[in-house]
Amino acid sequence: MFAKHVGKELSAYCNGELSLHGASEVAEHLIGCPRCRAMFEEIKLGVNLAERLPEMKAPDSLWQDLEARLDALVSTGESASARQVTSVRAIRPLARIWQPRFLAIAATLIIALGLGAFWFYKQETRPSWEVARLDGSPTIGSAIVNDKSRLAIGQWLETDNVSRAKIQVGSIGQVEIDPNSRVKLVQTRPTEHRLELARGRLSAHIWAPPRLFFVDTPSAVAADLGCAYTLEVDDEGGSLLRVTSGWVALHLKDRESMVPAGAACATRRGIGPGTPYFEDASENFRRALSKLDFEPHDSDWSKIPAFNHVLMQARPRDTLTLWHLLSRLERADRLLVYERLATLSPPPNGVTREGILQLEDEMLKSWKAQLESTWSNDSGLRKAWIKVWTGALSKVKGVEGKR
Amino acid sequence: MEQLAVMPETIIDEQVVKDCQEGDREAFRLLFEAYKDRVFSIAVYSFHGDQTAAGDVTQQIFLKLMTSICQFRGESQFTTWLHRLVVNTCVDEQRRRKRYLDFGETIALPTTGERKPLERRYERRELADCVKAAINELKPKFRMPVLLKYVDELSYAEIANVLGCSKGTVASRLNRGHKQLARRLAHLRDQVVLED
Repeated sequence: MFAKHVGKELSAYCNGELSLHGASEVAEHLIGCPRCRAMFEEIKLGVNLAERLPEMKAPDSLWQDLEARLDALVSTGESASARQVTSVRAIRPLARIWQPRFLAIAATLIIALGLGAFWFYKQETRPSWEVARLDGSPTIGSAIVNDKSRLAIGQWLETDNVSRAKIQVGSIGQVEIDPNSRVKLVQTRPTEHRLELARGRLSAHIWAPPRLFFVDTPSAVAADLGCAYTLEVDDEGGSLLRVTSGWVALHLKDRESMVPAGAACATRRGIGPGTPYFEDASENFRRALSKLDFEPHDSDWSKIPAFNHVLMQARPRDTLTLWHLLSRLERADRLLVYERLATLSPPPNGVTREGILQLEDEMLKSWKAQLESTWSNDSGLRKAWIKVWTGALSKVKGVEGKR
Repeated sequence: MEQLAVMPETIIDEQVVKDCQEGDREAFRLLFEAYKDRVFSIAVYSFHGDQTAAGDVTQQIFLKLMTSICQFRGESQFTTWLHRLVVNTCVDEQRRRKRYLDFGETIALPTTGERKPLERRYERRELADCVKAAINELKPKFRMPVLLKYVDELSYAEIANVLGCSKGTVASRLNRGHKQLARRLAHLRDQVVLED
């Protein structure tokens, strides 16, 4: 796996210059090679920065200056071509009479033909993914999906109450679309594959380096970290993420929730991701958490019952929930969360109560690293794998644990 | 003076080039309008942000284009021919000047600690300024492939054709360019990720 590093191919990979097979080989290597993955993060940042290079607008006076230089060239007889260009109207006086009208007609035709050709060109060449029908009659635009349809950037895939479809996400995974769903392909390139789920439910199985596959919903963005999950969006734009393997990050602006396998997280329009919880938590625990996350509290006391219930009912595994709450509550409540968390799993050396209350980033991360062993049933290898990814993630995001 | 990088909408076809070869100034104007911003951008970045020098070089390029367009035989794409002209003129002019010029406006690279919570629009502008400054610090052999890739949106094969080297060399130089950009602007990583 590590025999042939792919460092030299990473720019071509990021710029979409490799063949499908070549890109697939690079992606597979990246999954298993920390050295190349670190380099990939660096190149990806470089590409991302270069893509922001603005085009400069030439000064409006440039043409006048150029014409003056052309005329000067002609007057000194330096260039036959220049003389030809400048004297064209003198040589063809008749042309001056009909040329503007002709030009206007020709320009209209050229623009119309050009726009038409451009539209067809874009239709034919814009990136797309393979889509296959699983049940019923899913549609892309007005066309019914068959066994070999394609979903291009900007197109919507829709399913009715009996239809299902499967999308092949380039070479990195598959997404199944359930009935009553509406999904758009937003972007596909080696550094980013992005869907928008406006409503309904999808199930994703992705085998790629972290933060290559994203799903936009009306209330948060789900970033894949090499995993399997389902994501459901309701008519109000709220969503529910349920992770079955690996990790998924949900974020909106600077609010982020890290959700491991076995856990779930709800989101709400205008608020973003709530606090993640394990699905085997009691119904009352989950209901209290939902009140805490999403219901308006017109006074401090109105959230006390829900808050107290979450604290009292938290099991060692629910430190996932408590750790996320640390950075989402005011200092007084944070102190209560700290004490409960410390009871369930004392903080590691170097992590102090005051540091946590001050939301010291390194201390939060250090405690989280210790707690993760109780959040996952994964094997040792899998845990090492997760540690690599979450470490890479925190380097990329730099916002983990911040409100 | 700046805008998002986009492909020119004006359709420059064989007829326009042919008309230019026959000395039609209106056709030449079409050609100029289609490519002026991208040519000017390459010149600005090649001359360290000196817009006066860039304007002068852009005029030189279009004068050369006009006086030598009859030599264009259609053996390569017109844009490849034009880009060779751009690259060669910029390189010649850099050699002639034999010294680096600074940006008219001094652009200090802000650090994360210095940044304040400003409007997103301002932050994007600030980020673009940092990228421009970092591009200027690249060696010319790494800078030009980056410009051809991201300003002119050429493929690796087209860049190789313009620069007269192999696709592998283009890939290698872009790799170095990307790495150097990332290292110089590593402090902006969070901002880039958040903007995404």
